[in-house]
Amino acid sequence: MRRFSLVVALLAGLALPVQADQPADGDVAGWLARMAAAERGQSYQGTFVYERNGSFSSHGIWHRVEAGGQVRERLLQLDGPAQEVLRIDGRPQCVSGAPAEQLVAAAPLAMRPLAAAQLAGHYQLRHVGESRVAGRRAVVLLMLPRDRHRYGFELHLDRLTGLPLKSLLLSEQGQLLERLQFTQLDTLTPLGEQALSPSVACLPIVATAAAPVATRRWHAGWLPAGFSLLATHERRDPDSGVVLSWLLFADGLARFSVFIDPLQGEAPAAARTQLGPTVVLSRPMPTAAGEFMVTVVGEIPPGTAERVALAMQPAQESRP
Amino acid sequence: MSREALQESLSALLDNETDELELRRVLAASGEGEVRATWARYQVARAVMHKELLEPRLDLAAAVSAALADEPALVSRKPGLPWRGLGRLAVAASVTVAVLAGVRVYNQDDLATSQLAQRDAQPLLQARPLQGPAVLAGYPATGVVAAPGQGSAAVQQHWQQQHLPAYVRQHAQQAAFIGTQSALPYARAASLEGR
Repeated sequence: MRRFSLVVALLAGLALPVQADQPADGDVAGWLARMAAAERGQSYQGTFVYERNGSFSSHGIWHRVEAGGQVRERLLQLDGPAQEVLRIDGRPQCVSGAPAEQLVAAAPLAMRPLAAAQLAGHYQLRHVGESRVAGRRAVVLLMLPRDRHRYGFELHLDRLTGLPLKSLLLSEQGQLLERLQFTQLDTLTPLGEQALSPSVACLPIVATAAAPVATRRWHAGWLPAGFSLLATHERRDPDSGVVLSWLLFADGLARFSVFIDPLQGEAPAAARTQLGPTVVLSRPMPTAAGEFMVTVVGEIPPGTAERVALAMQPAQESRP
Repeated sequence: MSREALQESLSALLDNETDELELRRVLAASGEGEVRATWARYQVARAVMHKELLEPRLDLAAAVSAALADEPALVSRKPGLPWRGLGRLAVAASVTVAVLAGVRVYNQDDLATSQLAQRDAQPLLQARPLQGPAVLAGYPATGVVAAPGQGSAAVQQHWQQQHLPAYVRQHAQQAAFIGTQSALPYARAASLEGR
């Protein structure tokens, strides 16, 4: 085993002179740090498949680290509709199809790397073995939730570069909720301009001029342990004049959104659906200031989403 | 009422092993979010134990309260022996009705799905026919289960169809912007489009 690691390290050293030393197998934190570093420092291109309940698709990815350290990345769906996005340092520059006009004015948040220290409180991090993905050797890491409020995550990282080659989201019962898996990865061939140029169908993103609202009208009366508020967006709908709130929560790995809008004479019922890993749940909430609809969308177990939805509260001082 | 006692009562209630006084205590306490949440968890746990795919509905508390309100005589009545038994039966029946009304069994589609979702199952390549004005790709119209309540089904569905697809998209896209694993949230968002 040791000899093998040595050989791999040597190979890695030969192929990519700038590569950092490989973490030891059991060093999960080391591998996660390695992955974060690889995404910032390693150019690559490849194809991957994504599978969830009722959906299977294949995609191409071109990821180039430019001279100044800027990361330019293009993703294109290879079957069915040609969904495309071009990002620079994680900020989308253009998006194809319907999403463009639906993008909200919210400024994209800074990239947050997976940090073992943050995760360790709510997930057991384990190295569980080796695998082979896209013709490459991979180390398999497992992030097992410590409570029922999040899903488990299985991650296969490329031994040579630390890039994620495969990731599985697993429910409490061990059911597979989604799979992302590379079928081919090339870290050596330099990427040309052509590969990173978006097609004409990729529409530039224009921030909509929605009037921001200063106050925070809602807060979560209950959150699963480890989740914290990442961002709040409030905007006044230009047509109806009502204030729509959007809160985003994360635990370092899993994320969910809460949307709240006032109901105007409508009486929709509570509803719930599941899109692969994503639960979508909405329920009416009566408050002193009127009836609201609370919608939770995220990659968390349905029971947790239900509980979050029930515990949303209007802030004391403000009246919508 | 202490939390432990309350949770015991909740558990008993869901196992149909409670008397109406206890039921009322639980209902009185169920105004608190945490108790309602506990209730939901127990329901899910029960569903799992019975291998049922149920949808927990916290509106149950309200439904049960309403059912009880329609039976004012029960608690105030002196426990004349024959009546007491009948009363309990009546409450239990009402609760059962409320439970049945509030909890919908997921449709066949979802059951099949959960079986398919086993690890390393067959490829999930089922073509899903478009259903009317497709709300969302991969968004089975039957998957949105509306709770029984006031208002026509059309009105209730209308709100969901108007708002939920945009919310799902918004969530997926924002998540993509903050991802470290850039491909994953992108793929999630893409899987919602144009299928």
